[in-house]
Amino acid sequence: MNIQYIGERLFPGQLGNVFVILAFVSVLFSSLSYLLAQNKASRSDPEARAWLNLARIGFRIHSLSVLGIIGTLFYMLYGHLFEYEYVWHHSNSTMRMRYILSCFWEGQEGSFLLWTFWHAVIGNILIRSSKDWEASVMTTVAGVQVFLCSMLLGVYVMDYKIGSNPFTVLLRQHPDFANIPLFQNPNYLDKLDGRGLNPLLQNYWMTIHPPTLFLGFALTLVPFAYGIAGLWRKKADEWQKPALPWTFVGIAVLGTGILMGGAWAYEALSFGGFWAWDPVENSSLVPWLTLVGAGHVMLIHKHKGQSLLLTFFLSLITFILVLYSTFLTRSGILGESSVHAFTDLGMSGQLLLYLFFFMGLAIVMLVVNRKQFPSSLEEESLWSREFWIFMGSLVLLISSFHIMFNTSMPVWDKIFAKTYSTPNAAFYNSWQVPFAILLTFLIATGQYMKYKHSDIKVVLQKILIPFAVSILLAAGIALLIKMSEVIYIALLWSALFCVCANLNYWLMILSGKFKSAGASIAHIGFGMVILGALISTSKKEFISHSNADKDIASLKLTNGKNNILLQVGDTLQMGDYFVTYKGKFKKGPNVYFNVDYYTRQPDGKLKLDFELRPLVQINAQMGNVAEPDTRHFFHKDIYTHITYADYETIDKQKQDQNDYGNPKNSTLAVGDTVSSSNSLIVLEGFNTTVDKKKYGLNDSVLAVEAHFKLMTMDKKNYSANPVFVVIHNQVQSIAAEVPELGIKLNFWKINPETGKIDISVAEKSVNTPDFIVMEAISFPWINVLWTGCIVMVIGTVLAIWERLKRSVLAS
Amino acid sequence: MKKIHIIGIIIIAVSIGAIIASLSSSSTYADFTEAGANQGSEFHVVGKLDKNKETVYEPKLDANLFTFYMVDNGGVEKKVVLYKSKPADFERSEQIVIIGKCKGDEFHANEILMKCPSKYNDGKPSETKKL
Repeated sequence: MNIQYIGERLFPGQLGNVFVILAFVSVLFSSLSYLLAQNKASRSDPEARAWLNLARIGFRIHSLSVLGIIGTLFYMLYGHLFEYEYVWHHSNSTMRMRYILSCFWEGQEGSFLLWTFWHAVIGNILIRSSKDWEASVMTTVAGVQVFLCSMLLGVYVMDYKIGSNPFTVLLRQHPDFANIPLFQNPNYLDKLDGRGLNPLLQNYWMTIHPPTLFLGFALTLVPFAYGIAGLWRKKADEWQKPALPWTFVGIAVLGTGILMGGAWAYEALSFGGFWAWDPVENSSLVPWLTLVGAGHVMLIHKHKGQSLLLTFFLSLITFILVLYSTFLTRSGILGESSVHAFTDLGMSGQLLLYLFFFMGLAIVMLVVNRKQFPSSLEEESLWSREFWIFMGSLVLLISSFHIMFNTSMPVWDKIFAKTYSTPNAAFYNSWQVPFAILLTFLIATGQYMKYKHSDIKVVLQKILIPFAVSILLAAGIALLIKMSEVIYIALLWSALFCVCANLNYWLMILSGKFKSAGASIAHIGFGMVILGALISTSKKEFISHSNADKDIASLKLTNGKNNILLQVGDTLQMGDYFVTYKGKFKKGPNVYFNVDYYTRQPDGKLKLDFELRPLVQINAQMGNVAEPDTRHFFHKDIYTHITYADYETIDKQKQDQNDYGNPKNSTLAVGDTVSSSNSLIVLEGFNTTVDKKKYGLNDSVLAVEAHFKLMTMDKKNYSANPVFVVIHNQVQSIAAEVPELGIKLNFWKINPETGKIDISVAEKSVNTPDFIVMEAISFPWINVLWTGCIVMVIGTVLAIWERLKRSVLAS
Repeated sequence: MKKIHIIGIIIIAVSIGAIIASLSSSSTYADFTEAGANQGSEFHVVGKLDKNKETVYEPKLDANLFTFYMVDNGGVEKKVVLYKSKPADFERSEQIVIIGKCKGDEFHANEILMKCPSKYNDGKPSETKKL
């Protein structure tokens, strides 16, 4: 049966598909041409020049095609072309357009595109800037693009689907939706709306976090490509210089991207913190750690020519870890161990091929070229900067090994058929805290060492003051915030030492000048990040875990747990605050809850301190999503999150207080009791000889009356007698109301075997005031963490700037 | 022996230590039968909500107590006591992972992970009124 569908716009899909194929073919051509250009003996060889020109043209066509793909996909999203599965899957017509970017990269295809886009941008910069490294470096860059573009191909080769193409999959042809009656209608598009964007992603962080993170990932390709090129060209000692600034740009960007993810988790998700050691978070952190290591050993190499092997190892492993992370988060292997992995698109095989190809390339290149590494080096002095940086890089490497090993539990389970689960945050912390102590200590002292050898007495003399200050500060802070765990106090000190020593180095030794202060400033930032993470996490306090005065009315059970129930108008003490729930209101898709925080004044009166509006985004299709609200103070944050609320009444804002709410069912035998909000309801017995006239019933019908006694808290008794009626095999029930209590009873089933009956109890909404169940957490000094992030990025950018300026001056 | 060798040995030792510690402290996935036989040890149990049985959350009595019945992948059913508020969209969950210990016939969980099909790929194209 062929249906002539009306209104389908198939041209954009065809156009997009042409761009996809063009992007793939042109970059394959470009990569091979670069390879041939590099294999010619000399760059001035006319044949090499010809190949180089062809390769450049190929890469330009590829770049334009990628822009074409992106433009077409945006056009389709913007125009609500729901005939395409991708558009239907990730957007709808009521969605606000500012989230169109989130729609774009919500799916795997879009995020691969984002990654491809950044590689194309970086490739074009490399073509202009890498001079005689161009052919060798771009071979790898274009080669990576070949793999990435293949993820978008969506073609079948021998029944194996290669890639997933957002342009060729029409909704009505999607295998999941075969035989859906809607598609029998030629005019189905008129009646179709998109599924919409996951509410978790309808957040401004989600418009800036993914592009930053993917730019960071893309930047890790540059040191990898240079490393491979260095081996290929037998210039093992020369590639580090051009790769160095790229590496530090990567450190700054990837670091920012990861922290944006943390900020998103903290502001918009219910993680209850900025870092949860979630597998997806871990798999972006680990390449950052190795990239930081790579950047630092490149510095040693630059100044001393040492740590050659480690510059290769860390540069190559960083990109391989990015590929491994991609496999982890996109193959579906993480399954239930992560909240925000992508779903499986059946590309695991392709992802593994991508990973193993470049891993194999790196290993083969290293093994084949092993002679380029001098076997014996003069031993470096213990008191040299290079030795301390080297140690720091190794600590980073072990730390990332530990994180990766544990994040990979689902992979080990699969390989070795075991059933280990991914460990919890406490386990990660117990291992990573000692690593952080070592690292911050090395960072504190490293700068005071000179390259080659330094006089230890001079070093000690210079570092004495920051050392003493950090001990005093650590002792003071530990006492102030009542920190008792030895390991945390050790980290508190080492992080403070890191901040003080680097601050001292910048202010005293570099006289506070910004020139060449980048490293010190970045290290101050790193120390602050650790400090803020330590204090805000270890001293995080659930204030909703209330120890309020018992005499405050309607104090509810909390069992020492973290959720607390607040009825409208109730005031409960939480920490130093008195918290009131003022009611809720609806705006757009969101329901906001007014939660007011009061503080007690010296005169005993309560004064409104601040108002928070945590919200729940109502999404009937994808499920409701709660978003916390946080009040930021200089020295702490108060985080408030709705964990449960009465969603039924959300849409009935001005519900009549005299309407009955939804009834609750129970099964009772004679003598059993159920409770309502204001009384206990006891089933006392039955009456089978009902006065049928009273209810206007025929004599022939069967009727049973149940007798209930309702006892209130103040010992008043009421009775109610609902009736169960069977007329011509039809069951009816006649409700009994108790107007004084606002209760209605229905008797609607008899279970002959058990002798029990089913009843329902409905209460007027005036009986059951609106309530919320919430969590409130205080995060002390979390601003130190965020400030540290910014300081670290500023320091890194400053260092890159200085380095570029110097290299421009030098040439 | 060079310093580099000593460092190498330390790194290998720490790495091996990390692996052993990870494997020995990590709790494992199990079914209710195994968790029931090892009362007091922590397990991750994967299963499905029994939608025919009652789920009880009475925030007015205890905002941190939620009970439901779960059938594990081996088909064994247990009552689960979760010391948390009732998760949003609980009834829509397709798969549940609970983390906790068995106490008698009940499983006491302090953590829950849910897989909701709706969040990612549920929902079929259907007629909707366009706005």
